[in-house]
Amino acid sequence: MPTQENDDRIALLQGTLDILILKVLLLGPCHGQGVARSIQRQSEEVLFVDHGSLYLALQRLEDKKLIQAKWGLSENNRKARFYSLTAKGRAELLNKTSQWKRLTRAMGLILEPQGEEG
Amino acid sequence: MSRQKRSADDFAEEVRAHLELEADELRAEGLSDEEAHRRAHVEFGSVSTAKERFYLRSRIQGLDNLIRDLRHSLRSLLKSPGFALTAILTLALGIGANTAVFSVMNAVLLRSLPVTDPTRLAYIRPSNAPRRTGTINSRETLSYAVYETLRDQHPGLSNVIAYVPLSGSKVAVRYGSQPEEAEGDMVSGAFFSGLGVMVPHGRGFTEQDEKDHAPIAVISYNYWTRRFARNPDVLGTTLYVNGIGLTIVGIAAEGFEGLEAGGSADFWIPLQNRPELNAWGNPLDDGKTYAANPTWWCLHLIGRLAPGVNKQQAAAALNPLFQRAAYIGLGSPAAGEKPPTLSLEEARGFPGYSEEYGRPLRMLMAMVGFVLLIALTNVVMLLTARNAARQREFSMRLALGAGRRDLLRQLLAESLLLVATGGVLAWVFAKMATRALGSWAQIESSLAPDRTVLAFALGILVVAALLFGLAPLRIALASGPALSLKTSAATSNADAGRSRGARIMVAFQMTLCLVLLVGAGLLIRTLRNLENTPLGLRVDGLVVFGVNPHVTSIPQGKAFYRDLIGKLRELPGVESVTVMDSRIGSWSSNNGDMTVDGNLPDVPNGSSRTVRSNVAGPGFFTTLGVPVLAGRDFADSDTETSPHVGIINEQFAKRFFPNRNPLGHMIGTDDGRYQMLVVGIVKDHKYRSIDEEPIPMAWYEYAQIPMSGRMDVELRVHGDPLAILPSARKVVQQIDPNLPLIKPMTQRAQYDLTISSQTLFARLAGCFGLLAILLVATGLYGTLAYRVNRRTAEIGVRMAMGAGRGQVVWMILRDSLVLTAIGVLAGIPLAFAIGRALSSSLYGVQPLDAPTYALAILGVTIVAFVASAAPASRAASIDPLKALRTE
Repeated sequence: MPTQENDDRIALLQGTLDILILKVLLLGPCHGQGVARSIQRQSEEVLFVDHGSLYLALQRLEDKKLIQAKWGLSENNRKARFYSLTAKGRAELLNKTSQWKRLTRAMGLILEPQGEEG
Repeated sequence: MSRQKRSADDFAEEVRAHLELEADELRAEGLSDEEAHRRAHVEFGSVSTAKERFYLRSRIQGLDNLIRDLRHSLRSLLKSPGFALTAILTLALGIGANTAVFSVMNAVLLRSLPVTDPTRLAYIRPSNAPRRTGTINSRETLSYAVYETLRDQHPGLSNVIAYVPLSGSKVAVRYGSQPEEAEGDMVSGAFFSGLGVMVPHGRGFTEQDEKDHAPIAVISYNYWTRRFARNPDVLGTTLYVNGIGLTIVGIAAEGFEGLEAGGSADFWIPLQNRPELNAWGNPLDDGKTYAANPTWWCLHLIGRLAPGVNKQQAAAALNPLFQRAAYIGLGSPAAGEKPPTLSLEEARGFPGYSEEYGRPLRMLMAMVGFVLLIALTNVVMLLTARNAARQREFSMRLALGAGRRDLLRQLLAESLLLVATGGVLAWVFAKMATRALGSWAQIESSLAPDRTVLAFALGILVVAALLFGLAPLRIALASGPALSLKTSAATSNADAGRSRGARIMVAFQMTLCLVLLVGAGLLIRTLRNLENTPLGLRVDGLVVFGVNPHVTSIPQGKAFYRDLIGKLRELPGVESVTVMDSRIGSWSSNNGDMTVDGNLPDVPNGSSRTVRSNVAGPGFFTTLGVPVLAGRDFADSDTETSPHVGIINEQFAKRFFPNRNPLGHMIGTDDGRYQMLVVGIVKDHKYRSIDEEPIPMAWYEYAQIPMSGRMDVELRVHGDPLAILPSARKVVQQIDPNLPLIKPMTQRAQYDLTISSQTLFARLAGCFGLLAILLVATGLYGTLAYRVNRRTAEIGVRMAMGAGRGQVVWMILRDSLVLTAIGVLAGIPLAFAIGRALSSSLYGVQPLDAPTYALAILGVTIVAFVASAAPASRAASIDPLKALRTE
């Protein structure tokens, strides 16, 4: 996994990219470039998306039937491949999100314990 | 995985769209057209790499993953080299030993003859050969007249092929000037074509060659390699066999070594009809070769079943023909004689060998099977222990989003790496072990691993790989993502259920180990009993070799041996010299009935009248060191013209001269034609082999009976017996430069050959027992060490609460002793069963031999103690404060 050490952006941990993609697609169908943009924007440009990995992840999710894809037209009339969540993908997102929340909460408890009850 | 594969073009299209969309947005942000495109490309990174990754992903699904997994596994294995090394060596030994034993079993019991369509070949076997005939083996060999009949008319068979060795062992050959010996067979013209054996260099034989008794030879690939270094110029040169020049016309296909049991033919020649090349190297009988002698049934026959005919049908069709042919030259059957019959037997494997080695080999296979089981459970236990210690790692990975499938892949990759490395080592080990095994078992035929062996080894490896990949998976998955957050060693590891599996496996290993040790113990005691069996003769200082002089008459033969004995006696260092017909300690003997004072003796019901006989030269018993109890030994003064004399053993005297002095009585052959005066009684001694019981025996004097041909020469010498051989060889070649010494060896080595299969069996069993002990020790050590590691905190608490070191040590030891006790209890009945199955291979020891069991149990217990010692002392040296601080 490539890391970019010359800026503040953080390379994604393995496995986290999937959750992020699913989350972006929860808002509605989107093409690959849109997904990349969204992740970068929504994380206030902190997370860096390696595009090669992104497309592999999209392909992987498609293989697992968590998302589906079809060719369509973008707002500015460009042909693009649009991805959308499947029912299975929605369920997976819920599941992964709650796992992630538990993990981060626990991490948070350890790393910044002030003001929280044990 | 992907159901509908996306094309690479489709993906390229998507990337292009991405770049356009990105450029559009950048333009919207105010960049120039050119700059927008540039930035879009930069942001995307390498388009070609992305395409490549997509391509790899879609084309070779998961290959890059596999490589990544393997690399990761390699790193993680290198981090624990002790574990990796133990696992790999365990695998190599377990699988290697199995492959080696299976190779031998395959060669001896399973492999078909290297010919075309071996399942359609059948040995033609007689029973009830007519009276007055002599056979090599009454259930295997037939006469030339029978062969001739069946060759010309063969209902039910496509063809009938005869083959017969030129000698009982090896025959004298000469290529250039050096006399040597080699194994050769006389065969039908249809031998190569009928069996379907290719002759890639030169040619095979034709039926015309058989008719003409053509002086030509085909040599085996093996002989070509060994003797001629695969020199193609050997074709057309002359090989002298018993002084007869034969032109080498062909080299048989690699792997074909003839049809003789366990032997390997070096060359084949068409059936001959001359005294120098008689069947089995015998001298002419009444001036007749094997081909003209209807009373000598000496040929092996093999046939190929005609299409659509089975063995029973073919035998039924052949029998009327055979029953007539059997009496050619013999007159009509005597009243009450059972009609001779033919049967067809599957020509699979090497005849005769399966009986001698089949049982031991199957037992060995069972033993190595146990070793393999121990080895596999060992690695499983090691892996389980190791992966349990890695639970946090797994759990962290699950938490970070790795799928279960990813974990499985990772585990399989590790197992693959272990198994592949272990497999390569195992193959190397197996090749060495096979060679050692083959030379011990005196199997001369090729033992090179073939496809069956390879498939067997690969099969074990695949099972092992899956087992090792899947066994730890349960633990990995049971971890769950939440576990990574728990920090207490005590809570995260105190899962009693999981260690129960490991405990059962340890106890199971103890069981197998005990069984192996009992088996090995019984066989080793058998071997010691055999080795310490008194032979009844002074065997040290004796050396023996065979000679097969080219003589055409009996007086010429007698003169040859008189001359040879005289010359050998003059050699410095030689104490005495004698000759004999059957070499002692070589399994062979001549059995039959004998008359006592002109009549066949009466024997009490149920006891046997059989007498074993041999023909011996002057000073026979003095040379061997067998005590003469009464009368005298044979002497030079016993000649053809002096009264015929014979010597008997104690058993003979006891059975046929009860309460009488045998000296002065006459004994003779069953037809009463040859009579001799008993002049000596000798002490019973081991005659054919070490593990035999003595039976009545009689010896004829060689100079007095009408026979000549091959004999064995026995020398008693001062110093190293083998050192006399070069000068003995010189003496023999002074008389005839074409004569090699046949199978020269010490008499001790000759006797040891009779227990070679027991020796092999016992040594291997011992090795496997030792291997089992080693494996069990490492397995137990690994498991205990890991358990102690996990219980560090608990032990710390115990010690903090005042438990003494002794108590802690005892706690660990008790654990392994309980497992040992359970294993031993389960093992004893199993060992009984194995002991009973072995009983036919035992000598002087009962299957329920108490000392063997006691030693085996002691052995297992010692292993348990030794393997527990290090973990126990580690537990005892735990510093309670430190242990608690890790909480």
